[in-house]
Amino acid sequence: MTLELENLHKKFGEHTAVKGINLSVKEGQMFGMLGSNGAGKTTTFRMILGLLDPTSGSAAWNGARIDYSRTHLIGYLPEERGLYPKLTVKDQLIYLMKLNKMKKPDIIVELRKWLERFQIESYENKKVEELSKGNQQKIQFMAAVLHKPELLILDEPFSGLDPVNSDMLKKAVLDLQKQGTTIVFSSHQMRNVEELCDDLIMLKHGEALLQGNLKDIKRSYGMKSVKIKADFDLQFLENIPGVLDLHNSKVETDIKVESEEIAEVIFREAAEKGFLRKFEVEEPSLHDIFIDQAGGESNE
Amino acid sequence: MSNFWTTFSHTVVKRIKSRSFAISTAIMAVLIIGIFNIPTLIDTFSGDDSEDAGGDRIIYVLDETEFNGALAEELEQINPIYENRSGDTIETLQEIEEESSTYILQLSGSAASAEAVLSGEDPGMALTSQVQEEVEAAKMSTAAGQLGLSDQEVNELAAPVTFSTEITAEAGAEPEEAFSSSYWMVYGLVFAIYLIVITFGSMIATEVATEKSSRVMELIVSSISPVTQMFGKLLGIGAAGALNLLILVAAVAVGAFMSGEEVFNFIFTEVIEVSLILYALLFIFLGYFVYGGMAAMVGALVSRAEEVNQAIQPLIFLAMIAFFLSIVALNAPELTVFRVLSYIPFFTPQLLFLRIGMGTVPVWEIWVIISILIVSAVLINLLAARVYKGGVLMYGKFSFKNGIKQALRLSKKEA
Repeated sequence: MTLELENLHKKFGEHTAVKGINLSVKEGQMFGMLGSNGAGKTTTFRMILGLLDPTSGSAAWNGARIDYSRTHLIGYLPEERGLYPKLTVKDQLIYLMKLNKMKKPDIIVELRKWLERFQIESYENKKVEELSKGNQQKIQFMAAVLHKPELLILDEPFSGLDPVNSDMLKKAVLDLQKQGTTIVFSSHQMRNVEELCDDLIMLKHGEALLQGNLKDIKRSYGMKSVKIKADFDLQFLENIPGVLDLHNSKVETDIKVESEEIAEVIFREAAEKGFLRKFEVEEPSLHDIFIDQAGGESNE
Repeated sequence: MSNFWTTFSHTVVKRIKSRSFAISTAIMAVLIIGIFNIPTLIDTFSGDDSEDAGGDRIIYVLDETEFNGALAEELEQINPIYENRSGDTIETLQEIEEESSTYILQLSGSAASAEAVLSGEDPGMALTSQVQEEVEAAKMSTAAGQLGLSDQEVNELAAPVTFSTEITAEAGAEPEEAFSSSYWMVYGLVFAIYLIVITFGSMIATEVATEKSSRVMELIVSSISPVTQMFGKLLGIGAAGALNLLILVAAVAVGAFMSGEEVFNFIFTEVIEVSLILYALLFIFLGYFVYGGMAAMVGALVSRAEEVNQAIQPLIFLAMIAFFLSIVALNAPELTVFRVLSYIPFFTPQLLFLRIGMGTVPVWEIWVIISILIVSAVLINLLAARVYKGGVLMYGKFSFKNGIKQALRLSKKEA
């Protein structure tokens, strides 16, 4: 039960949207796909789903391309949300889930379960257009998971949600993973990826910039983050070669450095000047890595 | 296949349950029933005296003709609503008429040039024609009496000539189909084909474009193939339309029945030719596929529902051209130009139907052209399905030519 992408390419005319992506997602794994807008995430998802044919390479689920005989095993939350505005929540999901080979009584049972979980039981017979954006998104999520798919593809699942709903959705995603669902999701909110993913790929202009296990990536990533608290001005550290960025916040000073060696230099220079209340070298956050790699195109 | 039925029934139910469907069907049905009953309706609403032609309405007859009151007496015998008041003056009668809202029928002249004036509050169409008929009948029998003719001689004089036309068909054509007998039926059905094609064409395009613009399309086509979805929709809207049509046909029957046995019998024995109805249904069905496939394609190419009207214009023009050609062709169906044009699939449903109705086409030709139409319908729908598949995920400014090119490219591997 694995998802395998092999040297996946997609060209639209002269423009290449996806350039040779390779990846493998094992059963029950949560896989993150990062990239700024236009990096090729949605195109990749569409090729996995069989909505687009790859120009070359392959996308296979369980050893074969996904076609319409197996789409009921897949759940999909598209980036561009869309439901029938004039249909009620119930009618909507009955239709969409029937397309996924579910029977009406089962649909209603599952539907009520999820409505309860999302605390929107009273919306069962409301038209979707009458719901708030956040609640519409919950319905959209239900449309992706109600039929208990084996593979769940979530394109920007948390965008546009308030923190409470975002957490609610995150918990739901984690529960699905526990039940054995393989999940691939994209996001440009790095915190979500850090919280949820085991493995990830970072895309830019259709190419993989970074790929692998989240912890490994962070550990092996040269760039470090140094946090210093002192009673004197630390701005002079900016001039040390190898310092990428220096940012003074109210609490402390945050310095990005090329490598751990530079952190040592900084420690010596700063300690010479006076007493340091705090000196800490951290692995970079995914956010830092993303900005470093994607060149400041993060939306966070 | 199960997904096809899911989409099909979803489309049908959604359409039938929609308020616009119920309202438009109801309005059309009421209109149709109304049209059949126009004469009755006019009588009902035209003045309080004319509830029913005859009854106890009084018409005072002032006979100033050379028959010396005999004409007024004859009228009294024909219908008790007439009262001979030839002794009174017109002024006296006018006074009575004003007070009691009766009518005055003033007769003058000779047998060769008799004149009748009916005065009073608006008498209405039905009463006027009734009085006219009865005055004519009375004059005929009074004049005949004066000439000393027997009843039988009068009947012979008055007997109408049964008149009909018969047009010899063109060589090689169906001989039994006479030109004018089916004229109105053909006209009506050509118009029906036109209306159906246009209405349902826009309906399909709008439905597809709405799904696309609400972005639910991406979710749908991730579960079922766009081609299955397209045909589910096409047939679903067609089935809802057929139901609509059925209701309207029922309305025709009810309307005809209400307006009296005569009209009912006339319509169902004289006007309706079963074979023509069957041809019409076949052409509506095939025409629906030709235009519906195109409409689905147009719907898949636009990004927003508002663009549909503009995008579907060429298709509507095509149907309009076919309709206007048919109107011209109704009067000259045998012209070669119409014969040639009826081979073009977009014009076939209306033009060929018209040629069949007007009896100017041999059987072998009918089936050749229908075969061409079927093949074209299949080809158009294959193309439409290809464009649809690529088009439903394509957003941007609408351009027909570039849109089709891009959609075809998207639906192909070597994109």
